[in-house]
Amino acid sequence: MSVTLCRAPAARLGSESLLARLRGDGTERPVVDPGLAGGLRDWLEDALAASVGRLPEAAPPLRVTKEAINQVLTCEAHFLAGRDAARRPTPELARGSLVDVLFRQWVTTGIIGEPLHDALVALEVGGDPDGVAGFVQRLDPVHRRALAEEVAAHAATISADWPSLSPAWMPRTQERLIVPLAGGRLVLSGVVDLALGAPSGGRASVCIVEVKSGRRRVEHRGDLHFYALLETLRSGAAPFRLATYYSAGGELDVEPVGADVVHTALHRVLSATERLCRLVAGADAARTPSPRCRLCPVLDDCGPGRLRTAEAAQEEEARWD
Amino acid sequence: MGLSVSLPRSAAVTDELLDSAPPLGADELAVLRRKVLSGLALLAAELPAGRRLVLDGFRLRAALSRPETMGQADEAFAPSPWRCRRAVGLAAIDRCLRAKAPAPAPAVDEVLAGGLHDATRLESGEPARAPWWARWYAGLPPAGRVVVAAEATTWATQLWTALDWGRLPRPVVVGGHDDWWDLPCRRITLHGRAEVRVRVDGRSVLVLVGAGAPQVSSRSELVFAALVAALVGGTRSAPGRVVGLWPAAGQVRVVPVGVRTLDGAADEVLSAVATWVDVIIERQGVVAPGGGHG
Repeated sequence: MSVTLCRAPAARLGSESLLARLRGDGTERPVVDPGLAGGLRDWLEDALAASVGRLPEAAPPLRVTKEAINQVLTCEAHFLAGRDAARRPTPELARGSLVDVLFRQWVTTGIIGEPLHDALVALEVGGDPDGVAGFVQRLDPVHRRALAEEVAAHAATISADWPSLSPAWMPRTQERLIVPLAGGRLVLSGVVDLALGAPSGGRASVCIVEVKSGRRRVEHRGDLHFYALLETLRSGAAPFRLATYYSAGGELDVEPVGADVVHTALHRVLSATERLCRLVAGADAARTPSPRCRLCPVLDDCGPGRLRTAEAAQEEEARWD
Repeated sequence: MGLSVSLPRSAAVTDELLDSAPPLGADELAVLRRKVLSGLALLAAELPAGRRLVLDGFRLRAALSRPETMGQADEAFAPSPWRCRRAVGLAAIDRCLRAKAPAPAPAVDEVLAGGLHDATRLESGEPARAPWWARWYAGLPPAGRVVVAAEATTWATQLWTALDWGRLPRPVVVGGHDDWWDLPCRRITLHGRAEVRVRVDGRSVLVLVGAGAPQVSSRSELVFAALVAALVGGTRSAPGRVVGLWPAAGQVRVVPVGVRTLDGAADEVLSAVATWVDVIIERQGVVAPGGGHG
């Protein structure tokens, strides 16, 4: 099955259009393949057995998340640097967390009061594991006001685009997906911003939505494919549709789910997990230069990374000359 | 114990829930009760003066699979959206089941509105019985209340879609009372609970909902709930099956409950209580009298 990426037109989606694209008319939904999930699980277990066998006996369960997959496939050294460093809030992380809770609030109640205030309250009540509320409180007034205006713009876009969702669609927010493998030594996990539809055995019925407050990135599709794989393994039925909603401009990328999507995700998970296992077992991290090198915390100690950033700087200078 | 369910899962899980149970005689249960009584009485005698022990599923799991954590001080309980999602979610499922609400989301809204009403009445001195989370919930700002609603809605929706509720024989008890079984001296108490209870062919069936994914100790936790229910109510309430659901992982575990299963559960309880008694004795010097596990 070929993958079709449906992209919203540049103009803002109407809320009816958004719903139609998320839910479809029901007739196009694929028939659930009852053997797919079991086959995928066996495939993962068999392919990863050797890698898991190399993990130290006392190692805690290895958690495989979308962030770990993206980072380790980009550069193993960058992944290790990120894993070992304390996670510090940044303006981008703060904006993403604030927009996520506002989206959840809108889907749950259809009401947003003062966006930054509401979002901070929600984060604090929810435990705020990333320390975003404290980060925002510590911002100087100018940056805090800028963030408030930005978050308010995202909230306005969300409230203009998203109508209230019918309870019959079983909307659930921040739904956790967990797939233990290899007797629990590996755990694939993710948290879905919004899931619609109850799992069904007849025709695929679940739609998964991710909300992004930043600009489009190529890995966003991979993130959703990973969630499609998790949902398939968890519920036994693949979702029928994946969507990324960009709250800055109100665009919606919608992708139907076929077997090729979950197979692609599976290969990506295998590749990433084999690398993760190898690193946990103590192997040297491969260094793979990329545009992200300039933001890497271990750039000073990385020859390939320094070379990459130097070349990029020369190219940039040449362009201006 | 593991179960590979066919699709749709809610129908397959319900099939398992309604399946026949192993026989369990009153005599067998009486023998089991004597075994638990005598074993726990010996352990209760070892407890330091003034100390009580309540063994629940959490403490059973700690004793069986995480003994290294048992010496740590208990974390003080504080309400949170995550901690009250079960209570709110179960009340919401109950409303759905009684056709008072069409789906989990509006049912959660109604439950929370009811809690708020009760908390307000209590606050103004009127007689009311409010759920344990209501006063905390009432004190939250509106955006904080939304987090509670969202967490409970997701939890309730997962349970609501996990079973084919229309096929369950009435009455279906959602939430309901926990099972508390005391030694006659009241120094050791067993505390079991289940999210859903139904009766099938004269035996009860318990449904337990777990967070995350099943662990090594999960089977023990399931049969522990069955044992406590059997000790509390005898053959009348002794479960015939226990079904464990882990919605986040899509995992299901089913344990048919016969006398051998309960006997194994009794051994695990005695072992877990013995471990806890040892811990309490070791902590005696650092824990204030009456504090800790009572």
